[in-house]
Amino acid sequence: MPTVVLMDSSLSMTRPVSVEGSEEFQRKNLAVHGLTMLFEHMATNYRLEFTSLVAFSSLWELMVPFSRDYNTLQEALNNLEDFDKTCLEAALQGVSNVVQQEWGTSCPCQVILVTDGALGIGRGSLRHSLQTVKQRVEDKKFPLPFPFPSKLYVMCIANAEELQATDSMDNLEQLINLNGGEGQIYTMEGPLCLKSVQSMFGKLIDQAYSPFHAVLRCGNLTSDVQVFPRPEPVTIDEEVDPIPKTVQTEGDEIGTGATDDTEEETSTNQMAGKSPNFCVLLHGSLKVEGMVALVQLGPDWLGMLYSQADSKKKSNLMMSLFEPGSEPLPWLGRMSQLGPASDAAENPYGEDDSKSPFPIQPKNKRSYAQNVTVWIKASGLQTDVQKILRNARKLPEKTQTFYKELNRLRKAALAFGFWELLKSVAELLERECTLLPDSAHPDAAFQLSHAAQQLKLASSGDSKYAAYEHNITPMLTDFSGGGGADRI
Amino acid sequence: MSTTISRAGMRMFSVSHKTALVVDHCPYMAESCRQLIECDMLTKSRSQGVIPLAPVSKCLWTCAIECSMEYCRIVYDVYPTKKLVNYIVSDSEVHILNSWKQEDQNTQQLMTALAAVGPPNPRQDPECCSVLHGLVAAVESLCKITEYQHESRTTLMDTADRVANRGRIICLTNAKSDTHVRMLEECVLETIQEQNKRAAGSDRLMPIQQCELVLVHIYPQGEETLVSDRQKKALSSVLSSEVHSVRAGRYLACKLNVLVQQHFDLASTTITNIPMKPTLNICEQEEQHANTSANYDVELLHHRDAHMEFIKSGDLHMAGSTSRDSGLKETVTLKWCTPRTNSVELHYCTGAYRISPVDVNSRPSSCLTNFLLNGRSVLLEQPRKSGSKVISHMLSSHGGEIFLHVLNSTRSTLEDPPSISEGCGGRVTDYRITDFGEFMRENRLTPFPESMVDAACRTPVERAKSQLERHTRYWPMIISQTTIFNMQAVVPLANLIVKDTLTDEDVLTCQKTVYNLVDMERKSDPLPISTVGSRGKGPKRDEQYRIMWNELETLVKAHVGTSERHQRVLDCISACRSKPPEEEERKKRGRKREDKEDKTEKNGKDTEEKGWTADSERLKGVMEREKDEQSECEIIKDSPDSPEPLNKKPRLATEEQQPPEKSKGPVSLLTLWTNRITQANSRKHQEFAGRLSSVNNKAELYQHLKEENGMDVHENGKATR
Repeated sequence: MPTVVLMDSSLSMTRPVSVEGSEEFQRKNLAVHGLTMLFEHMATNYRLEFTSLVAFSSLWELMVPFSRDYNTLQEALNNLEDFDKTCLEAALQGVSNVVQQEWGTSCPCQVILVTDGALGIGRGSLRHSLQTVKQRVEDKKFPLPFPFPSKLYVMCIANAEELQATDSMDNLEQLINLNGGEGQIYTMEGPLCLKSVQSMFGKLIDQAYSPFHAVLRCGNLTSDVQVFPRPEPVTIDEEVDPIPKTVQTEGDEIGTGATDDTEEETSTNQMAGKSPNFCVLLHGSLKVEGMVALVQLGPDWLGMLYSQADSKKKSNLMMSLFEPGSEPLPWLGRMSQLGPASDAAENPYGEDDSKSPFPIQPKNKRSYAQNVTVWIKASGLQTDVQKILRNARKLPEKTQTFYKELNRLRKAALAFGFWELLKSVAELLERECTLLPDSAHPDAAFQLSHAAQQLKLASSGDSKYAAYEHNITPMLTDFSGGGGADRI
Repeated sequence: MSTTISRAGMRMFSVSHKTALVVDHCPYMAESCRQLIECDMLTKSRSQGVIPLAPVSKCLWTCAIECSMEYCRIVYDVYPTKKLVNYIVSDSEVHILNSWKQEDQNTQQLMTALAAVGPPNPRQDPECCSVLHGLVAAVESLCKITEYQHESRTTLMDTADRVANRGRIICLTNAKSDTHVRMLEECVLETIQEQNKRAAGSDRLMPIQQCELVLVHIYPQGEETLVSDRQKKALSSVLSSEVHSVRAGRYLACKLNVLVQQHFDLASTTITNIPMKPTLNICEQEEQHANTSANYDVELLHHRDAHMEFIKSGDLHMAGSTSRDSGLKETVTLKWCTPRTNSVELHYCTGAYRISPVDVNSRPSSCLTNFLLNGRSVLLEQPRKSGSKVISHMLSSHGGEIFLHVLNSTRSTLEDPPSISEGCGGRVTDYRITDFGEFMRENRLTPFPESMVDAACRTPVERAKSQLERHTRYWPMIISQTTIFNMQAVVPLANLIVKDTLTDEDVLTCQKTVYNLVDMERKSDPLPISTVGSRGKGPKRDEQYRIMWNELETLVKAHVGTSERHQRVLDCISACRSKPPEEEERKKRGRKREDKEDKTEKNGKDTEEKGWTADSERLKGVMEREKDEQSECEIIKDSPDSPEPLNKKPRLATEEQQPPEKSKGPVSLLTLWTNRITQANSRKHQEFAGRLSSVNNKAELYQHLKEENGMDVHENGKATR
């Protein structure tokens, strides 16, 4: 996930620290040293992650937009100038804007605030911001919590005692709380020196920037893999299952399915050598065959592996994580019920690969797929009545459709307890009967009066005629030579 | 990145897990709602001299049923499982129309049950009818455990108390006054207390921890309401209640539409600019308006997370406009983008949400849904302040269900990934890509019914994993690492040996394969031995066969523990393979080589012994076996016997049945094809016994006579002398 480094460039950062030896260091130098270490770590282990650098004092400035070029970041860091006082709220707002503009609000980000813990005085100080946090109007809200999923790490170029002497520590803790508890405060242990700043950034690296190494396993074929971005633990149901699910480092490939859908988020796999590697083999075959492989990440948690090409030339093995659960993609069914196709009595993919057992159809059709009757709007009811009348005028040719529509209306009217409608439609049909032209087929009159009579019977509520499952069937007439009765 | 799917605060057993819908069926519900519907729409040509029929009007009951069914329809569309509705009708008694069971959760079943209930009888004695019966039944019902709660409790065992029991009661009634409403609330409160005591001592019941009562008072149009609206307020720690006073008809429909959105975290999206021209063919039903090419709007409901990006970025009010119909709720308007091609594109998708059309059987709605159900997809464009075009969503169906897909419209952190060839193993060029493709096809998954468990009680997915394990016990990844997998002649054996069980026939086929190889060796057919990494001519023919036999043994040994029949295949190989007999070899070779040879054979035997290990040993892990294989490979490669290798491409495959001139070169496409067909055909019939035991496709006839008579016999019975 992307990182924003928010570097304090206020004047207080230039305070010298007493170091034994000849060289005199400023706090800023220690901060730069720590960040250099972080950048070096990322350049080696996390080179696919994006990082940006924002410097702030009373104003803030985007020094380096999100980039994988750690040399540029380092250079900008080395050339930071010193400015005036600390004004954190505006800077955090800046970070929020920078991240949203680049990644939107669904991409998680880590924000690393590097400061000496002198958080400003008076207006614009963190203390002032926090005191007024509840009295904000809608458009001047405090930037925390960030609208995107985030972790806020505060790297203090100061030790805990120093921060606790003032209210700085309290204010910083409040800051983390405002971010929903997402984040952590790091302070320096012992004297302010290069060693302790290294140790502090070391802890941050262990916590937030440890590479994700895993083993991808397909039966006895295995490969060591590293996953970018690192998959983070997920809590599915805070109540029933409050422990976050973590991705197991043993990925079990469980078989392949030929679906073409990408869901959920993705991470890229990338490995580093020259001996044959299973990932390359898998990638090659997935690409050639146009298949995806399912991969198990933990109990009841699956994902899929596939070949993804960014440009025409470069492609890599990608892993998409499904939502944890037994049935992440409804059209694949319950994942534990997926077994080898060779166990099936008949090859579900067909001898010539012309079939597929997917997608699985749901047991019940959705309303939009089953021709439901809704009369909430008058127009819905009118359309249904008109359909019946239209077909009534084309009897006996449309006998089948006529009765189909008639029965649909009848069923709905019975369920809704709308007996008045049945009577009314019966009357309409009787009137149609009287309006039949002389040229009309004699069968038409019979069918119309038969249908009208049946509707009237249903509207009486008599269980013999008003049963929901009962269907009105066309009347058998002597005119059935070309009539509709035969066709039923 | 998994945080995109972490919905902190998600609770499976929230209030919306169980909804008890109580509809009043008392005589006063038979009263007309006083909204007239003209259903006699006379066409101009026929209107002369005909008196139109009187318009119809629905009764309060019909209005309540229609709107509550619409509520259910939307819930079932968006949540096909885990959100349950219990439908209760109340008059002088209680009619419970369905249960919490998942199989009871569909509108068809409810419609059937409602038809059986019929409209209220206005002549029934109002004194003995009350909605109270229904409310009491609703509370009792909420105490009943659902199959999901049961399943969760059983799996959680000692932490079963984490499974909560919450629910909502929606009561559609016609109340007399505010006092009457208070009385209903009191009744629910008391019943909850009573039932909770009962439930505490039962396995099948759970005390209600939280209950939301939603009372909807329905009154006819043109009347003054006798009940006042009241916002949600807590009546006790368990029960909260709210009162909505609504006119019957479309007002009620709107109210329930708003409620279903609130209750189930739904949001509304209006697809605008849907072209319904006949040319586009998305709407074939468009009969009357065939000549108009107006653009239509369709409103859809779905989980509100599909709007997360708008909500968080504050674009919601910008993008949204007020829904035309309701005037109450908000909808986000997205523009239809006419699909240019039919091609399946993979979009970077961050979520998919089921939809339900608000106006399901209106023409534009059914046109859109049919279009999608037929397999087409529609991209949706988000109007932006800047006027730039941003595709933010996609509508598409999977297995008869339509989903609103959220597409990533900002920069992706996955952009510009490195090529896999830059990584480990990326420089290796002779991966068995095609073979692994075949492997994947053989290991494809398919859904099995829940009841299907095999003898060892393994779930289908466990069977799939075990199949993968068997199929990969010996699977060299690159062409130059293997001889046998480059030989067509080995295919029948290689396909069979990985199976869990072998039939006698399978064993016979394997043995036949071995005999073929023996025959090939006798004829000194060339083998596709890899010459990668070696210079010169490559190993001599007999050495080639030794390598091949070793590899074949390795393959079969990996499976020897599976069954006694697998063992028989190995026995056959051991018996038939060209012995690396010390004596003969030594005679042929110079004495100088003798020592080296000895050493190799010893090593070979060592690995052989390891390979023979029993089941438990086999499970010890891949690593060890890989080592074994590696050492064996090394032996083959580093064999001091190997003459200077030649710099030729490895031969792909040789087939015993091939004409001799072809067997010398690589296999032609025709041969590959013919073999494939022959193989496929051979599965469909039982092979002639003669052909099975044939050598070079030539079978000796009347062998039994030979055995019987001990001499050659001619057809006509005349013995030859």
